[in-house]
Amino acid sequence: MKRGIFSAVIMICTLMTLGVPNAVMSADAVRGVTDSEILIGQWGPQTGPAALWGTVGRATGVYFDLLNSEGGIHGRKIKYFNRDDAYQPMKTKAIVKEFVENIGVFGVVGGVGTSTGMAVRDYLAEHKVPWVSPATGSSHWSQPFQKYIFATFPQYHQEAYVLTEYAVEKLGKKKIAFFYQNDDYGKEGLTGAKQYLESKGMTLAAEVPVEVTDTDLKTHALKLKESGAEVVIMWVLPKHGAIILGVSKAIGFSPQWISCSTLSDPDLMFNVTKGLWKGVMYANFVNMESPNIKKYLEAQKKFAPNEKYTGLFFLAGFYFAEPMVEGLRRAGKDLTVDSFVKAMETIEGWNDWLGYNCTFTATDHQGVKSVYMEQCGDDGARIKITDWLVYKGK
Amino acid sequence: MDMKRDYYEDIQLFRTKTVLIASVLSLAALAVLPFMVGGYTLYIVNLIAINAIVAIGLNILVGYTGQISLGHAGFFAIGAYSCVLLMVKGGVPFVIALPAAGLISALFGFLLGLPSLRLEGPYLAIATLGFGMAVTQIISHSEFTGGHMGIEAPRMSFGPFEARTGPQQYAVIMSVAVIMTIAAVNLMKTRVGRAFVAIRDSEIAAEAMGVNLSWFKTLSFAVSAFYTGVAGALMAFALEHVSAGSFNLILSITFLAMVIVGGLGSVMGAIMGAALLTYLQIKLQIVQEAPLIGPFLLEVSKRFFNPAGLANIQSIVFGAIMIAIVIFEPLGMHGIYLRIKRYWRMWPF
Repeated sequence: MKRGIFSAVIMICTLMTLGVPNAVMSADAVRGVTDSEILIGQWGPQTGPAALWGTVGRATGVYFDLLNSEGGIHGRKIKYFNRDDAYQPMKTKAIVKEFVENIGVFGVVGGVGTSTGMAVRDYLAEHKVPWVSPATGSSHWSQPFQKYIFATFPQYHQEAYVLTEYAVEKLGKKKIAFFYQNDDYGKEGLTGAKQYLESKGMTLAAEVPVEVTDTDLKTHALKLKESGAEVVIMWVLPKHGAIILGVSKAIGFSPQWISCSTLSDPDLMFNVTKGLWKGVMYANFVNMESPNIKKYLEAQKKFAPNEKYTGLFFLAGFYFAEPMVEGLRRAGKDLTVDSFVKAMETIEGWNDWLGYNCTFTATDHQGVKSVYMEQCGDDGARIKITDWLVYKGK
Repeated sequence: MDMKRDYYEDIQLFRTKTVLIASVLSLAALAVLPFMVGGYTLYIVNLIAINAIVAIGLNILVGYTGQISLGHAGFFAIGAYSCVLLMVKGGVPFVIALPAAGLISALFGFLLGLPSLRLEGPYLAIATLGFGMAVTQIISHSEFTGGHMGIEAPRMSFGPFEARTGPQQYAVIMSVAVIMTIAAVNLMKTRVGRAFVAIRDSEIAAEAMGVNLSWFKTLSFAVSAFYTGVAGALMAFALEHVSAGSFNLILSITFLAMVIVGGLGSVMGAIMGAALLTYLQIKLQIVQEAPLIGPFLLEVSKRFFNPAGLANIQSIVFGAIMIAIVIFEPLGMHGIYLRIKRYWRMWPF
């Protein structure tokens, strides 16, 4: 009997300690802004099936640490809240409610995941929370126009459009096949490729969908081979990219492979395909030649020395946060949500970051529409093969 | 001290005055809650209420009837999608769509119950597991359900009244939860509930007493699915968006964990289990901000694990709770509650 009471007491104590740390929202004029601090939040999967992407949120933390060590923005330090939603919309919503109603953040940045983001998009809009750089290429962030969302991830359909354009005009190929994941991610890519080809009166040689759960891609490879495609554009998961290359090689099919920016880590892909990735062209939107990269990697050594992976996803954590910081700088000392939105809309052709030509206008909040292409060289080296390719479709 | 002298004493809802007073007081507490706390806390309470409905439903199947299910995320998804689709594509009002979603889910529960007549233990677990996964696969590949992107849920509405704000949503969700809890308590005192328990204790004995095994087993699946379906529909509105990816195997297992932690075969236990696990799921993400233990854990994690280490504390704590419950307290939180109650009943002496 005593044991029962004892365990109950312990349980109650634990719950109370966990329950205490909810910061009380101050009666400040602007939510999340004090004389010395700006409160910013991000959610992302630190655990669960997509935990690999958790590095984005941690990298953003490193970026803010770096900024704070340099004195912050207009005398204000950034206070950053990085939360784990385990890729579950239910938790994302809880996190965002906590951000807005308990902590009272000024804005949110990044946020990996389309379905998790969609679960909170309207809630954030309702509470006028600025959201910079949702971390997927879905078109839902800028269409229809969202006043408080600033998207910096090139949309998948825009990216597919410029990649197809490159294959046709620069490589001079006519037979182009599209290999895509059978969901919104793949289908948005497919739409972009078709859009370009239709404008030239052409059609795809083959459209081959793959299911997320498929592992045997032999029939897919055969279909691609039968179409006689000279170029195959892929919009798939890394594992499918690796498998299709192996299977195609086995049946003697070797077109020029072009891949979406989600597979733009040549080092990783070269290793998992045991060298087959060499020669594959892929899109990238993080400027690897930017002088900022060196600075950021040094900051990582200083603020997060345990971070093992510092590849593309890690840099993306910086990429997503940079435009927000630029907006905060431009908004000046008198920071409000409206002054921030106005300041963001003055960003035009901005290049002092890891991206290219960031432009927001009062009617278009899709800031980045360009990618450039690289080719995988020996041992997974990056070889830059094009300059920035700008999306010129509708 | 717990002696009953006639049948009606056994089936009444409130056995003593204390129980009646306690129930009325807790209902009153639930009623004033939205005036006391902020939107964030209210959302967590909403999640707890929704999960409690699922846990009660799953407990009817697992705790009372002795069947197992690893596919309740599937019923949850069916409930969520049918309610939203009925409203968006069918123009059905919320008041009708909510029970309809439960009934559609119950129909699937009935169908899944049929194989359970021949399957037992691990085989049934695998069959239900397959069901749960098939549901999400089908939903995510159908254009009608919005594919991988899911669909946005409309507002809960009663004629001209729309549940927009947190407190309004709370009012709807909590009312449904309370009604369904009372219904479950009552169900267990009827012939049907007793038949479920008889099946759990011994199928052969139950059959010998005249319990129709095939009817009551499938019925148990259907009732359980009804509860889960209604909870799924409420979840769709709490999230304002449904997508297939969120109804995964982990969710099914979390539901089962709620029932086991709370206590098998007890409505009260199911509610406690749902409350504890939901609360921990949300709060353990921010354990690093808790006073004293937070910085300590953060330091341990930084020194000995990789940077993502602390985030995984949730799995560790959940695992530890499950193991502790199974070893020390097989009746779960409900067992602890019973012992405390017994202790205090004798208190002054």
